[in-house]
Amino acid sequence: MHHPAILLPDVTQPFFIDLVSRTDEARRSFETNPRVLRIVADGLSVERYRQLLLELYHVVWHFNPTCAAAASRLADQHSEIRYFLYDHMMEEKGHEEWVVNDLEVVGVRRQEIDQHRPSNALLAINGYNYWAADRRNACSVLGMVYALEVIASVYGGPIASAIKESLLLEDDRGISFISSHVTMDAEHMAELRVVLNKVYDSAAKEAIVESTIFNFEQFTRLLEGI
Amino acid sequence: MSTGQALPTAVDRPYKYLWLEWEPEFSVLTTRIAVKPIQCYSLAAMAELQQVFNDITANPGLVRHFVMASGVRDVFNFGGDLSLFVLLVRARDLDSLKLYARRCVDLVWWLENAAQIGVHTTALVQGDTLGGGLESALLHHNVIFERRAQAGYPEVLFNLFPGMGAWHLTVRKGGFAIANDMILSGQIYTAEQLHRAGLVDLVVEDGAGEVALDKVVRSAHPKLRGILAALQARRIAAPIAYESLQTVVEHWAVTALRLKDRDLRLMERLARAQVRKVGGAGEGAVEEIKKIELDTAWGFERTGLSEWSTLT
Repeated sequence: MHHPAILLPDVTQPFFIDLVSRTDEARRSFETNPRVLRIVADGLSVERYRQLLLELYHVVWHFNPTCAAAASRLADQHSEIRYFLYDHMMEEKGHEEWVVNDLEVVGVRRQEIDQHRPSNALLAINGYNYWAADRRNACSVLGMVYALEVIASVYGGPIASAIKESLLLEDDRGISFISSHVTMDAEHMAELRVVLNKVYDSAAKEAIVESTIFNFEQFTRLLEGI
Repeated sequence: MSTGQALPTAVDRPYKYLWLEWEPEFSVLTTRIAVKPIQCYSLAAMAELQQVFNDITANPGLVRHFVMASGVRDVFNFGGDLSLFVLLVRARDLDSLKLYARRCVDLVWWLENAAQIGVHTTALVQGDTLGGGLESALLHHNVIFERRAQAGYPEVLFNLFPGMGAWHLTVRKGGFAIANDMILSGQIYTAEQLHRAGLVDLVVEDGAGEVALDKVVRSAHPKLRGILAALQARRIAAPIAYESLQTVVEHWAVTALRLKDRDLRLMERLARAQVRKVGGAGEGAVEEIKKIELDTAWGFERTGLSEWSTLT
C-alpha cells in the first residue's frame, strides 16, 4: 500500500488562512482579555455601556471615510477590493444613526455625542487606519475590516445578550447596533475571505497583517478603558 | 531523569510554543507544549511540533524516546483550536478547515510511525485533555495519566465529532463499544475510568507523573529494539491507514462547515471556559462541558444502561 512521506508536505496557504494564522495571537489576546471576558459574562453598567456606545459611534462614523480613502488609492489591479469596499460602504452607510438611537435609549442626547472626546485608543485606531490607507498601503484597510468583523461576529452576540440582561432592556431596544451586526458581519466574513484570497502581492499582505494586529490590539485597549 | 541538559544542535531551535528538554543518558526528548492564552493545537503550535518531528526524522538514532507533556498547569491539551474553527466556519472556508485537518493528520501519522523510525513515545498527561488533546495522547506507545486528569471527546455536544484519529485510536486501544460510548456521548471521564477502559496504560498519583515517566523509560530502554519491533508488528496486526485518516478528516471539515449558530456559540463558550482554566481559576472547560451537557439535556448516556457508564 502506498503511504505518503511522514514529513509535512509543502502546502501553499491561501492568504485568508495565512492572515488568520499570522494574526492569531492578537486575535486571541482580544478574545481572552479578562475585561472582554467579564463584559461577556456580566454585561455592563449603564454608565459603562454609554461609554462603549460613544466610542463605537466614532468607530462607525470613521469607517466609511477610511474605506473611501483606501478605495480612492487602490491601484487598478485591486479593482475587486475596490468593489468590495463600495458594497461594504453602502451597507454600513447610516449605521452611526443606529448607535445614536441606542444612545438615546440609554439616556444620552445627541449634543453629548458630539461633545464626546474619543479615548486615546480610539484616536490611535482612527489615526492609524487613515494613515495606513493613505500612506502605508491602501490594502491595509482589509486588516481593519477583518478585525472589526471578527470582533462583531464573534463577540457582538454574547456582549449584546449580556448587556441586555444586565440593563433589563426589552427586545433590541438599546442594543440594535451591536446585535444587528452579529449576523450581518458573519455574512461579511465569507465575502471578505473571498476578496482576501485574491490578494497576491506581498507588500499588500504585510500591510494587511500589520493593520489587523494593530486594530485588534487597540480595540483591546479601547475595551479595557471602558 | 535529569533535566536542563543542553539540547543536541539538530533539534535546538527557538520555538515559541514548545519547550524542549533533553536527557542524554537514554536520549529522551521531552516536548512541553504551552500555547497561550488557550492550550490547544493552534496552527502555529502544530507547525512547531511538525518541525520537531522533522528534525527527529532527519537525524536517525538521535532521539530514542519522545515524550509529549504540557507546559501549562492543570491542562494537557484542549485539542482543536475552537475559535479558529468558528472563524473559518463563519467565513465558509472549507479549504482552510481541510488544511487544518490535514496538518493534524500529518502529526498523527508521524506519531503512528514513530516506532518505524526507532522512536519510542510516551504521553505524560498531568491535567485535563479534550478532543484532539486526547487523540494526541492516545497516539503514544505509553499513556500515563495523573489521577486528577480528566478527558473526553466533547465535540458531539456542538454537533461535531473528533476527526483526527479518535475512532481509529479509541477502537484500537479500548474496543468499539468504548469508542462508541465516548464519542457519541461527549462525556468526560476520569483517569481511572480511562485506565479500566484500556485507553490509559498507567495512572499515578498527582505529582508522581515525572517519576513514573522515568520508570517507563528506564524499563523500556534496555529492551528498546524488541519493543519497537513489537510495536511495528502491532501496527501490522491493528493497522491504521493514512487514507482512512484523510477520508475522516475530509468528512470532519464538511461537517464543521454545516454547524449552526447555536453550535458555534457553544464552541465559543467552551473556548472562553478554556481560558478560565488556564488562568488558574477553579472552573474551566471540563466544568463547562458538564454544564453544556446538562443544558442540552442529551441524557441517553445517563440512563445507567451503558456498561461504560458504570465505570465510576
